[in-house]
Amino acid sequence: MSQAVAQVVAALAFAGLAAVLAARLGLGLGREIVVAAARATAQLAVVGGLIAAVFRVPELAVAFVALMVLAAAITAGGRLRTIAGSRRLAAAAIAGPALAATGLLLAVGAFEAAPRAIVPTAGILIGGAMAATTLTGRRLLEGLRDEQDVIETRLALGDDVRTALRPTIRTAMVTGLVPAIDQTRSVGLVTLPGTFVGLVLGGASPATAARVQLVVLLALLAVELLAALVISEAIRRRVTAPGERVVVPPAG
Amino acid sequence: MRLARDGRTVLDGAQLRVPPGEVTALIAPSGAGKSSLLRCVVRLLAPDAGAISLDGVPVADLDPRALRRRVGLVAQTPVMLPGTVRNNLAYGLDAPLSSAAAHDALRAAGLDATFHDRDAHALSGGERARVAIARALVRRPEALLLDEPTAALDHDVALLVVDALRALADGGLAVCLATHDLPLARRVADRCVALDGSAA
Repeated sequence: MSQAVAQVVAALAFAGLAAVLAARLGLGLGREIVVAAARATAQLAVVGGLIAAVFRVPELAVAFVALMVLAAAITAGGRLRTIAGSRRLAAAAIAGPALAATGLLLAVGAFEAAPRAIVPTAGILIGGAMAATTLTGRRLLEGLRDEQDVIETRLALGDDVRTALRPTIRTAMVTGLVPAIDQTRSVGLVTLPGTFVGLVLGGASPATAARVQLVVLLALLAVELLAALVISEAIRRRVTAPGERVVVPPAG
Repeated sequence: MRLARDGRTVLDGAQLRVPPGEVTALIAPSGAGKSSLLRCVVRLLAPDAGAISLDGVPVADLDPRALRRRVGLVAQTPVMLPGTVRNNLAYGLDAPLSSAAAHDALRAAGLDATFHDRDAHALSGGERARVAIARALVRRPEALLLDEPTAALDHDVALLVVDALRALADGGLAVCLATHDLPLARRVADRCVALDGSAA
């Protein structure tokens, strides 16, 4: 039996085992497990084929990265939809830092300027920026509602909006960056991240894989910080009304 | 003036004059728009129609930060900022606050100088109300607006607060007190103005 066939059979067997076990235990998850497994199979088959094409045609790589940015902006923007134009704001917070960092890594020669390096690197940085944008933005919107009295007190004492919102924005940015910081400091101890695993499975030496992983992780710290900063700044502008007032968007 | 929030008219046809040296009581049931009106004065809300002036100058023409120093607003449940009472008094001031000025403000608000270094978050409701008044006073305002300053207080503490307000008005400050407590308003105010809440 070839390795490819063995992989598919093993994977299907695991999914089948999980579905049967779930049914036996009466978890009511049997159907969901089967659907999730089928979706994963279909999505990865499509992406596998697409990526193969993308790696051959550089123009497609650009389109693919643009598609990733779009999907990330729609996802993060949807989580911040109480803010007008949230998708555009999310797109700026995600694409700006993630694409700039990708460009910088290519410019200094950290990765080869080929689709097979650009697409995954950009994908990881876009994903990180998306998470930081969503977390920071949501925490900031919650903070604006929860701390309305404190913010109004600061304004009434003569603060401008920027000063009055500073503590709320700081808390939101810290919340948005905790996952990136924890991921960075626990790497190798708690998790072996995707880049490392992928490179090792692909035949790279563990030393090379570790080096590439380190570059990605450290770039992520800066990218996520910048994404958190951009979305905070954008939301601050959106809620600032003429006359040093703050207009808090409704919950939702 | 008129003000609508979330598509609901909360104030319509409200008219009020707050002269210096007097305590003006704004009497209204809860939900009649007292807080909204006071917040409009310092431009934390923008009215939909009407005019609010300070010394004859429309507040909309004043720099909002300067306006908020000239007109102190004490919220219904005053928020204490982090740190000591002193940190609260000195918050956001351009020049360092002298101990003498801090003590004067505390005394004028009915507190003694020992409060100076207390943790603001450990204070009782009545103490917070008076620290909030002192916090407005160190900014040397021309007018003081208070939103239900005695609502959460025991009767004795409420009297302390209104006596302090009376003394401030006698010193030349324009004091406007929004309350639903008519007997209290009668005790302290030179004039009572009713807001009937019919817009709400």
